[in-house]
Amino acid sequence: MKGAELVLQVLQQHGVDTIFGYPGGAIMPIYDALYQSEVKHYLCRHEQGGAFSAIGYARASGKVGVCMATSGPGATNLITSLADAMLDSVPVVAITGQVSQAVMGTDAFQEIDVLGLSLAVTKHSFMVRSVEELAATLHEAFAIAQSGRPGPVLVDIPKDVQLAEIDYQPENASTAKVAPVNTSLANAAKARALIAAAKKPMAYIGGGVHMAGAMPQLQQFLAANTMPSVTTLKAMGSVAKDNAHYLGMLGMHGTQAANLAVQQCDLLICLGARFDDRVTGNLQKFAPLAKVIHVDIDPAEINKVRFANVALLGDMKQILPAMTVGTNCADWLDQCAQLKQQYGWRYDHPGERIYAPLMLKQLSDRMPDNSVVCCDVGQHQMWVAQHMRFSSPRNHLSSGGLGTMGFGLPAAIGAKLARSQDTVITVSGDGSFMMNVQELATIKRFRLPVKIVIVDNQRLGMVKQWQQLFFNERYSETDLSDNPDFVALAAAFAIPGHCITRKDEVESALEAMFTWPGPYLLHVCIDDKDNVWPLVPPGAANQEMITELKA
Amino acid sequence: MNHVLNITATNTPAVVERLLQVTRYRGYELAGLELTPRNDARSLSITLTVSSDKPIHLLTSQLHKLYDIQQLELAGAELAVLSA
Ligand SMILES: Cc1ncc(C[n+]2csc(CCOP(=O)(O)OP(=O)(O)O)c2C)c(N)n1
Ligand SMILES: [Mg+2]
Repeated sequence: MKGAELVLQVLQQHGVDTIFGYPGGAIMPIYDALYQSEVKHYLCRHEQGGAFSAIGYARASGKVGVCMATSGPGATNLITSLADAMLDSVPVVAITGQVSQAVMGTDAFQEIDVLGLSLAVTKHSFMVRSVEELAATLHEAFAIAQSGRPGPVLVDIPKDVQLAEIDYQPENASTAKVAPVNTSLANAAKARALIAAAKKPMAYIGGGVHMAGAMPQLQQFLAANTMPSVTTLKAMGSVAKDNAHYLGMLGMHGTQAANLAVQQCDLLICLGARFDDRVTGNLQKFAPLAKVIHVDIDPAEINKVRFANVALLGDMKQILPAMTVGTNCADWLDQCAQLKQQYGWRYDHPGERIYAPLMLKQLSDRMPDNSVVCCDVGQHQMWVAQHMRFSSPRNHLSSGGLGTMGFGLPAAIGAKLARSQDTVITVSGDGSFMMNVQELATIKRFRLPVKIVIVDNQRLGMVKQWQQLFFNERYSETDLSDNPDFVALAAAFAIPGHCITRKDEVESALEAMFTWPGPYLLHVCIDDKDNVWPLVPPGAANQEMITELKA
Repeated sequence: MNHVLNITATNTPAVVERLLQVTRYRGYELAGLELTPRNDARSLSITLTVSSDKPIHLLTSQLHKLYDIQQLELAGAELAVLSA
């Protein structure tokens, strides 16, 4: 067979039945092989969108997402999405065509040094030099993408390698194994001692917990060592809904209860998180009284920005049970419960205009169990994290580390293809939506019943909020009041839609959206003056949140 | 302060770039680089000297994650501290 056919054989060996991509000259042999393959290819309308769909697929399912692009512009279009997968530790394999080796290094047509470009945005990358090494390289790519801390892997395949003949028998081929995780429980006793001694313990939960498949162990840990917990953006949905001691998201737009409690705790148990600056605020002032237990799979995260008194490296599933010792902190639990009570969200809002937090709460209450919500980036993203509840982090896909506008719509396509039985909703902003709006064509072609909610404030709202607060209300380039008619835009892709502007329209509009069997766009107009609260200003400690201010 | 890293790496086309990219990105200045292919030409012996006020573990823990790096040791007294 040809190298190109081998690529698809190897994909199938890894259980891949869905890939996202866009053809072009240097990857034509693979697209030719695809023509008769059982692997289903979903044509995106921009490679960035295709790769985001692969990320959405991976994050919603836990499997590896696969995307493809041609050399040059196709490959460069992948870069943003690879960076997104890198910062959010998403297992993705990207396959790019490259010009033939005969002309490589001559600035050939659509030749770009993709391997060079990939260095900063992938966990690892390969250039395949001969068809003999093609299968082994692809197997390795899958192994690396999933092993340890997951991440994106790029495989650049010159056209001549795709066209070269090779005798390949998939049955006999050995697939590279995912490297086993080394777990050391040597420090477990120290961790237990700290937990037993703590008067104010706090679990700070990140995306690493669910990615390790340790959701049951987490619930057991929190039950056996009763303590309050907070989650990062990526870990929303990690703590069971009936856990009374859960305080919500921490950080820049976290809940007041979460931030205040973390600032007071005397032991911070960081589980699969990395003390990101959006979480810590002023690092020097973050949880200043706390000793730290840090559990992670990536040794490089230990002591990177915050000293860990005790570190445990390896498999979260093994480590959490080994840390169980029981707690004795009734007063602290009361104190946290009080904070939670005192600073609960309020949804009373004057006037008849739609209040996005309330609308999202209504959406959350109404959406079927196990719905997947894909976000874009900005104020609406923070409102989703604050006001919607999820039963699993795989049900809340938000671009965390890179904060990439344009993530939501293509991610929803991937999520829908990964979980066709579940409802998939994208909550986007009027700015973000336009960044990958071309993917409406993908939804149209495959009649994907994705529900699209656009929270339209006619602004690049999050930037506007910062201009208002920190740049003397100089609203430079954040006005989008000449937005297109989003419902008409959807109609051009045969997607029905509806526009609402008043609170009393919300329930029936949501009903109509969920009742409609196919894709649907709900255009929700809100007041451009609404802002996200609370907010920890830059450089401030997390207890110095500011609240409510309209302008 | 200067740190000397003795590295054994798989001789892949981009390995030196990866090494230098991580070193630069993590904020360490390059103070020396020597490299010789080992006998079988499949691996490289690399001596990387970097200077920084930051603790060196912040760099070594990142370099350890590079797939093409087989072995990494800090020369001299610092050696014992690292085994990530
Ligand atoms: C690709 C990209 N470009 C720029 C930014 C900076 N940025 C962050 S939020 C934001 C505004 C987003 O506007 P919109 O999607 O309408 O969301 P809103 O904040 O109004 O809810 C911008 C420009 C970004 N995060 N990503
Ligand atoms: Mg907006």
